[in-house]
Amino acid sequence: MRAAWVTDKSTLRMRMTAKAQVDVSVPEAEMPAYMESFLGHLRLLVGVPFDYLIADARLLPDESIRFFYLDRSWADRLVDGAIAVGKTGTREQAHHQAHAPAVQEQLDITERGVRDLQRARVSFEFLRKNPRTGSGGTITGFLLRSAAVSGWPHMDVRAFDKVLPVPVDMNDARTHQLRTLRLERLAPSVLLALFEGIPKLVWCEEPHHGVMFGVHEVDGKFSIFRRDAQANKILGSQDISVPRRATNHRVLAVRDVQRNLQKARDDGQSEMPVQDGSADLAIELLQLPWRQRFQGSGGRPQFTGVGAFVPLVVVAPKITQEEMQLLVKGLVK
Amino acid sequence: MPQTLQPPPQGAIFMFDYATPPLQPDSYTLTAQTDVRFDNASHPLTDERSFDVVGPRFALPPGDVAGVFPPRNAQGPYEDVLAQIVIKRRTLPWERSLDKTNLIGSPSSPGLPAGYPMPWLALLLFEEGEFTMLENTPLENVVPADVFKRLGQPANVLCTAIEADRQLVTEMMPSKEELALLSHVRWVNIDDRELNVEGSDGWFSVVVTNRLPSRGAKCRACLVSLEERADLVKKDPPPSFVPTTFIPIVTKEVAFRDVQFREAEQFKVVERRVDVDFGRLTISPEQKTRLVVLYTWQFTSQGPGTFFSLMQGLDVGMIGKVKKEGEPALTDTAHLRLELQDRGGEEETVWYRGPLVPFELTRDPLGPYHSADQARRATPETGAEDVSYAAAFEVGRLLAASDARLAQELMRWRRESYKQSARIDNLTDLKAEFQLDLPAAIAEQVHSPIVPILATAAVGTIVSNPGPIADRYGIAAASKAVGMNPEVVQKVYGLETIQDAQALLGGEPATFGAEVRAPQPTARPDVTLESVLADKAGLETLTQARDRVIENVKTKLGEQE
Repeated sequence: MRAAWVTDKSTLRMRMTAKAQVDVSVPEAEMPAYMESFLGHLRLLVGVPFDYLIADARLLPDESIRFFYLDRSWADRLVDGAIAVGKTGTREQAHHQAHAPAVQEQLDITERGVRDLQRARVSFEFLRKNPRTGSGGTITGFLLRSAAVSGWPHMDVRAFDKVLPVPVDMNDARTHQLRTLRLERLAPSVLLALFEGIPKLVWCEEPHHGVMFGVHEVDGKFSIFRRDAQANKILGSQDISVPRRATNHRVLAVRDVQRNLQKARDDGQSEMPVQDGSADLAIELLQLPWRQRFQGSGGRPQFTGVGAFVPLVVVAPKITQEEMQLLVKGLVK
Repeated sequence: MPQTLQPPPQGAIFMFDYATPPLQPDSYTLTAQTDVRFDNASHPLTDERSFDVVGPRFALPPGDVAGVFPPRNAQGPYEDVLAQIVIKRRTLPWERSLDKTNLIGSPSSPGLPAGYPMPWLALLLFEEGEFTMLENTPLENVVPADVFKRLGQPANVLCTAIEADRQLVTEMMPSKEELALLSHVRWVNIDDRELNVEGSDGWFSVVVTNRLPSRGAKCRACLVSLEERADLVKKDPPPSFVPTTFIPIVTKEVAFRDVQFREAEQFKVVERRVDVDFGRLTISPEQKTRLVVLYTWQFTSQGPGTFFSLMQGLDVGMIGKVKKEGEPALTDTAHLRLELQDRGGEEETVWYRGPLVPFELTRDPLGPYHSADQARRATPETGAEDVSYAAAFEVGRLLAASDARLAQELMRWRRESYKQSARIDNLTDLKAEFQLDLPAAIAEQVHSPIVPILATAAVGTIVSNPGPIADRYGIAAASKAVGMNPEVVQKVYGLETIQDAQALLGGEPATFGAEVRAPQPTARPDVTLESVLADKAGLETLTQARDRVIENVKTKLGEQE
């Protein structure tokens, strides 16, 4: 058989080293809108089967919340895989090779607008004209598997780069809020949230319904917070237990609730209003939307496993080492 | 209320214990008497006018209701919420007397100041199966005879009523003092969108119930009139209790495997302790009671529990936290051991880590990857493969492949790039030959109208320096043909020496081997008109040539004639 004019290896090398690719500044080299949007979504794991995110169901048990960092290399490989579709020859490979840095840079910007696209707030064309600034920094988030997700599908989730003191100054909160990149229910009771940056405080807030009255039920016991005359929760105070009627366990013993509140005030909680009328009782029975705060030191959490081996730290940092890079590059050449 | 009281700012609420009307609904007679004196005599002028102050008594127009919570027909987690009704008339709950003749009596240990006004309304919460609604019932059939008498025996009043077990109603009926505690007045800013209702002055009266809905119960909240209902409202509430140990009466909505037998047994014990009085099953009319309903709505309390308790009960941690160590076993790098079949069909243990990791990782700068195999890694310590990134690659590929439009767009992206790249290649080649008038930026070069630019450049080059025409007869090209190559000819024909082959091809090696030089162009010095005119010999030759041509033409024409 006649020998080929060039070998496939030499072709690939020629393709990879040749600079004959179209410059990325040429408008035609830009990704088509649909493709860019698809890859942007992919970057935030939109559409990735849940089993790939949580490979073992025990990693996200019922009624749990797990915080995480997003492995950007993983997301980059997703994009590589997507672009590999229709990549039949060296020409496509060379093209991808030449354009990959620009694609990555562009997607770092595009992924910031994905949430707006998902909520149909803006069109892709608008997003292109008004790109979201960003540098492709750290992405973090959490997975919440709880009945609270199905019960309160519109819960308000926010992350901040500072532990906001209570009561929260909303202006302060706005300046410290991290951009939410994705907030989506993956299943009726599983919520995925992604944030840009490393949060120090995350809160999940019950949706607002105007003024509500009620009690807190924990383990079958009813209690209410101590509130001052402005209905602010008195921080660090012990909750007041709510007695019920012996004849019907769902009926509150309203008079005794009032007595308990008055007693708490007489015992030294002078911020509480004097219980001499219905308005004072109403203030104490107010049920404001519950805002659950999650906060930590932001440091690397202790993480222990019992795996049989302690492997080479993490894959990605190793690859940043220069010798390793040279080694890999040598393999390609 | 002092006149100086400013309305609350937006987002704020002012709360008041009560708002009593200046006049209670009743029939009033206004007597005007003026003593007029004239002529030293008194002429008193007297006039009498009657008027009625009326208000809702046996029904509440829906327009007077500013809102209810939980919303009408809503389904949601309301088990820790006290239902409430917000009424646009701020004085409504205090417009009528609960008990004019004080049949109920005073509370044994009053907790409210003396003279605190008592409301005549209460919001009662019934669950499905506990009640019967009666529409358009004559009032005398709803309230007991003595109450009807105390109400003034209004004739021809049809009202909506609720009928329920008397014991149940007594169990949940607020005591006299509790009634007062469950009604208040709210003042909000009229511009507040969340709190205010359109068309109102910002003032509302609120009646709250005292009963919490059970989980999963379909509930009916009823605003009932307790005017003169001394038969139901007691001066003191029944005894209360605070549970110290929790006995789960309601089954927890948890995954099936989490239900423990111990809890179920406790549940049974509780059931046994309830004395079942079969005698109560015979229903006699005395055991039912009816109440006038001014307004009613339904909602369903359903859901897993309260937001507060669910959130407080969450298991919080970074990803990789497991309930019991080793289940599943994770490495320090958060890799999970997986069994898989490799492409050879062999069972293999590999490491996998998803995109969610418990610590920050730097980004892999080596990229892009063109195949999943390129992203496979082996761990030196175990020799096992790390397929995390390879798996990511394949997921991305499959997701993209399942989207037909994406494949098209990818093609379009490449095709456009190839097109432009070819243009740039051509431009590079052309630029080597011609001086092209192109912009500096490549992006602009690609979009320049290349045909006219090239044409201009080509014409310019020809005009300025046409250059010699090389290889006029194509011999150089012909010599490149395989058959003209003496070495090949020698090999093919099995000739002994290369000279033989050369001879065969035409002898002289120079025929093909030597470079053919273009002939030197004739020197053409610049001439002027004067120098041409001075060249007599030349002009003479030209004249003779002209004459000769003319002669020839003449001869030719003469022959024709």
